[in-house]
Amino acid sequence: MSQSFSLYIPTNSGMHRLHPLTKLALVFLCLVLGLFLPGVWLSYATFALIIIPSALWGGVLPRLLSALFKTALPIALSLFLIQGLFWPGGTPILHLGPLSFKEEGLYFSIQRTGRFIMIIGSFLLLTFTTRPDELMLALNRHGIPNSITYIILSTMQIIPRFQAKANTILDAQRSRGLETEGNVLVRIRALLPLIQPLLLGSIVDIDERAIALEVRAFGRKGPRTSLLTLHDTPAQRIARWLMLLAAVAVIAWGIYLWLAPRFIA
Amino acid sequence: MERLKRDFSTISLVMIPVAIAINIVIGTIVYALKLPLYLDSIGTVFAGAVAGPWVGALTGALTNIIWGLSGINPGYTPYWPVAAIIGLLAGIFSGIGWFKSWWKAIIAGLITGLVAAFVSGPITTYIAGGVTGSGTDVVVAVFRNAGWGLLPSTWAQGAISDPFDKAASFLIVWVVIRALPLRFLDRFSRAEDVR
Amino acid sequence: MIRLADVTYRYPRATVPALDGLSFEVSTGQFCAVIGANGAGKTTLCSALAGFVPQFYRGTITGSIEVAGLNVVESPLADIAGTVGLVFSNPFNQITGARFTVRDEIAFGLENMAVPVAEMEPRIEEIMRFAGLEGLADRSPFALSGGQQQRLAIASVLVMRPKVVVLDEPTSQLDPVGAKEVFSVLRSLATTAETTVFMAEQKLEWVAAFADRVLVLHQGKLVADGPPGEVLASPDLGRYGLQPTRYTQVARAAQLAGLRSADTPLPVTLEQAVEFFN
Repeated sequence: MSQSFSLYIPTNSGMHRLHPLTKLALVFLCLVLGLFLPGVWLSYATFALIIIPSALWGGVLPRLLSALFKTALPIALSLFLIQGLFWPGGTPILHLGPLSFKEEGLYFSIQRTGRFIMIIGSFLLLTFTTRPDELMLALNRHGIPNSITYIILSTMQIIPRFQAKANTILDAQRSRGLETEGNVLVRIRALLPLIQPLLLGSIVDIDERAIALEVRAFGRKGPRTSLLTLHDTPAQRIARWLMLLAAVAVIAWGIYLWLAPRFIA
Repeated sequence: MERLKRDFSTISLVMIPVAIAINIVIGTIVYALKLPLYLDSIGTVFAGAVAGPWVGALTGALTNIIWGLSGINPGYTPYWPVAAIIGLLAGIFSGIGWFKSWWKAIIAGLITGLVAAFVSGPITTYIAGGVTGSGTDVVVAVFRNAGWGLLPSTWAQGAISDPFDKAASFLIVWVVIRALPLRFLDRFSRAEDVR
Repeated sequence: MIRLADVTYRYPRATVPALDGLSFEVSTGQFCAVIGANGAGKTTLCSALAGFVPQFYRGTITGSIEVAGLNVVESPLADIAGTVGLVFSNPFNQITGARFTVRDEIAFGLENMAVPVAEMEPRIEEIMRFAGLEGLADRSPFALSGGQQQRLAIASVLVMRPKVVVLDEPTSQLDPVGAKEVFSVLRSLATTAETTVFMAEQKLEWVAAFADRVLVLHQGKLVADGPPGEVLASPDLGRYGLQPTRYTQVARAAQLAGLRSADTPLPVTLEQAVEFFN
């Protein structure tokens, strides 16, 4: 069982060693590119030019592509079938019996699939190459409150414990003859005796966990120190600002392209 | 402000990860059991009910952000505003005492489901072209074929599946609040609103 | 140094007090154990010494509690942390979850107290050796055994150098080997580091072997107080729902059977029993 709820891959690549904020800025730029670039093909181009080389540098390309494929495939299939076939008033370009693929629907589907893989790909890149505690420390240093980073980190470590607990309860119920397969009603009935102990048991633990935190001075106000250290370089600091500037420029360009036809015409 | 500070006590900060874990673990099991529900916001609704709208909203938002950024379900992250609104509404309904009876909890769930569908529509449309990659996409196909616009078709899909799911989640939270010993419930800032 | 004066406490919605008119003092560097049946008030007393009764559990309290110079009834919990350490039995609930390695978990309290990193590192090294956690620094806290996790919980509190350490049945989920390690650590802490150790415990054999002093709680009241040899050999123990150690039981049987003189003090540890029967 993994110790934390994260797909972080601990290797020692140059990408891994980057300051977490540098990677966050890169992901932000990718998100902006995915969401604001006009046309159909530009998001595929930026995916090939930014995400693939970065993943390759981090040594996570095969894992990234397979995770991306698993997430994007059902969406892409649905998109092409539904928007491709049922685009109201579209121009038919390929007939399949009584149905036909519409040109506008296909263009739309290609564009949205590109947008989707840019967004998901950049999330995965960050996850695979960044230690969660380092990312949270970096955010903490830049104004994200301690309470938020505590919540995120402890959630990531509690989930595997919960999953184990849920599996234990499920197994116990199966061994007592409770069906977990069959029609919908049977499956719903299997769920209820699982939810109750899981919820009540964990809510009762909250008390002790809160006390344990207070004992460790969690509620203390004022500055804190950190044993974990982050490595930053002037070059990375400049790169972060450049990426942010680029992102702003892309947003401005996207807005201009969107507004221009409405006003100039 | 004073109220907000009490809502975000250490107890709440410890409860939020537990609530998020409940969302994700039960959501995963429900998905594995192939039920026609999500039930991935039970923890969010509980957090909102016992610790107020802002704790609920934070629980919801972080559920989707963590679920997505863990790399396990990356498609969930963009929906964080929807999850936040579910927690916010749970907190508001708790504030007006709707968690005190089972049928009010169900109505609150139905309303929350409609609002959730309304907010998630534009996100689904903009990011994934109106589909979710699941069985309910058939609904979108039907409405598109009938000549409906992209956003209305997505809304129709959500309005059919979401209220039922949220009503079930609110009802489960009502049951849990009944079953919880008072001395634990008392620790939360909004205990008097729910029982 | 711990000083209680006429402390009575009721949980919210409770009619019977959980602590009833408690007054006692524990001096610096003493290893004091509190024993009693389930529901006698041991856990409540431990929580009160660290300020969680009444500040966390609410309810009503009268009387005064002073621990290491702090009025723990009123001082903010954040000020009590670091001066009074609290450890309880479930190791899983004591792991913060916010740190990914054993070293970072131990550092958590120091980070919150803004201890400089240069000072933190030797303190963490020292406490890991003290608690027998060498070689585990880079492991996930969740990958440790129950006994290791409990020693981690104790180390995480001790590294903050509290003047008083309060432990609520810290060994109840440990095997005998793990329990003995924990007791040895606490014994040397009290002896060498001038730290006051206050511990609620069910295992009377361990209490007899390690504690300087034993308090007995019964229905929230202090009913006995003295050195282990005296308190644990007392014939009253049964009245409070407690069972004497097997050494005491065997020796008492020997006295009743006329095998040993009724005047000889009853043994409470193995060593004393050996002496008793020689």
